[in-house]
Amino acid sequence: MTINFTTNELMAVTAARLIKDNENVVVGLGLPQIAALLAKNTHAPNLNIIYEIGVINPEAEEMGVGIADPRLWYKSEYFTSFVGTLGNVLQKGLVDVGFLGGLQTDRFGNINSTLVRSEKGIRHINGSGGAADIASLARRLLIIMKHDKRKLVENVDYITSVGYLRGGNSRKESGLPMCENITIITNLCVFGFDENKSIKLLSIHPGVSVEEIIENTGIKIEIPEGVKTTEEPTEAEINLLRTTIDPLKLYIK
Amino acid sequence: MSNKVKSLSEVVSQIPDEGAVIAFGGFAIARNPIAFVMEMIRQQKRKLRVYQIVAGMDTDLLVGAGLVERLEYSGGSLDRFGRLERINEAIDKGKLDVREYTGMSMSLRFLAGSMGIPFIPTKTLLGTDMLRVLVEKNDDAVRVENSPFDGERYVYLKAIKPDFAVIHAQYADEKGNVIIEGPYWDVETAKSAKKLFVTVEKIVSSEFIKRFPEKVVIPSMYTSAVIEVPFGAFPTSVYKFYDYDQKFLMQYAEINKNKDEFEKFINEFVFGTKDFVEFLEKIGGIRRLNEILADPVYGY
Repeated sequence: MTINFTTNELMAVTAARLIKDNENVVVGLGLPQIAALLAKNTHAPNLNIIYEIGVINPEAEEMGVGIADPRLWYKSEYFTSFVGTLGNVLQKGLVDVGFLGGLQTDRFGNINSTLVRSEKGIRHINGSGGAADIASLARRLLIIMKHDKRKLVENVDYITSVGYLRGGNSRKESGLPMCENITIITNLCVFGFDENKSIKLLSIHPGVSVEEIIENTGIKIEIPEGVKTTEEPTEAEINLLRTTIDPLKLYIK
Repeated sequence: MSNKVKSLSEVVSQIPDEGAVIAFGGFAIARNPIAFVMEMIRQQKRKLRVYQIVAGMDTDLLVGAGLVERLEYSGGSLDRFGRLERINEAIDKGKLDVREYTGMSMSLRFLAGSMGIPFIPTKTLLGTDMLRVLVEKNDDAVRVENSPFDGERYVYLKAIKPDFAVIHAQYADEKGNVIIEGPYWDVETAKSAKKLFVTVEKIVSSEFIKRFPEKVVIPSMYTSAVIEVPFGAFPTSVYKFYDYDQKFLMQYAEINKNKDEFEKFINEFVFGTKDFVEFLEKIGGIRRLNEILADPVYGY
């Protein structure tokens, strides 16, 4: 039976399926949080959800505007500091999955969340917060982002968070621990990385054409023969998203 | 028993008029020491060197007021309400000497400061452009070396030991034992300084502290002054006391995009009020504050 779903729902479901039970994940607001909660409500009931501000396993009833919003801290198991979450749990190697987003991502999965360069010069936007720490020290990285030519680029304007750096073994040579894998989930497709740690198309979302992907990607990508279609959500997953996890449809719309 | 309770203007006047090295505890739109920062603007504490893990409205106000010479931080925002545009513009125009880190590396630098050790090693920052820029600027706070123990590459981060740290918390007693409810991202920041100034929602008795010693996250020996400033973090939130003021933050996120609008804002709300009580009256007083009081179950 085919069911109707939105692109954001598909993205959340795709991310949730990459999380395993008993894992520890660091998430931010929005789709990452939705994906982690979906995993916890389905196949990963023993998932630990960590927010860098110093909050572990909350059961928020409202979504909030950011991790500094007390709405997100409701019914937590543990309160601590940045040192307690990133300095201890993350640095000790206990984080399996780190969720990341940003202004730009490049061929090697590096992320820029600091500035944009244009003809008018450099504009500072934000900064790392804990993102670079998570990218450096979590075992697997899940990047969730909007698919846009200006956002998926050959080289990011500024490396805030390190993916595979310059590909090959360069991440390890910089002194960072190697991560197991990086997955990029966009509104059009899913990317992984090849043996040279360069971006590769893993699957195309249902109804999306290859041309659409090429047109909206600022990175020269090869389309492998018989590329898969991203697996669709089940009715149970969609029901959970709509009735339990994001009933106000703030992020899954 | 030593009594560290002081008035806000008295404590701010202890800060030199130029060149103070100071750390702030605010985080985006939570527990920003807004009353303290506004008083620093009134008293015109110039050429500040500011340290913060994740900046919020507090440091955006100081930078916008032209009082900050150098900022070391890991970025910041007003969460979904907007950006710290006064900081961003100052960086873009080269008016602020900015040193960018990650959240964890800043917190580890404060941790080292709180422990009295000179530096702390970490893997984070390796490979990033933050590290590249710091090295290009010959910043003496970072060194990349191989560890004598495992031979691996680490960044050795210099401890932050500021002259002053300022945080806003829920409770403290007269001795300076501080209780923070909710996550306490600012504890290492607070403990790293030579002098810690704490503004609190409520000063409590030592009897209260002794009933809840497990809630005390900063013991009194770190604290130099305790200042009672109800709603002292407005318009940012204080968990279990009040929510952030959505309307005010939306308004601020609009005016901080424009230098002239920001100056009008500062003239009206900071220079145009003699103290924080008058500021709170100006923005609508008890009637407005009642609207953001926290529900005791939810904490917001």
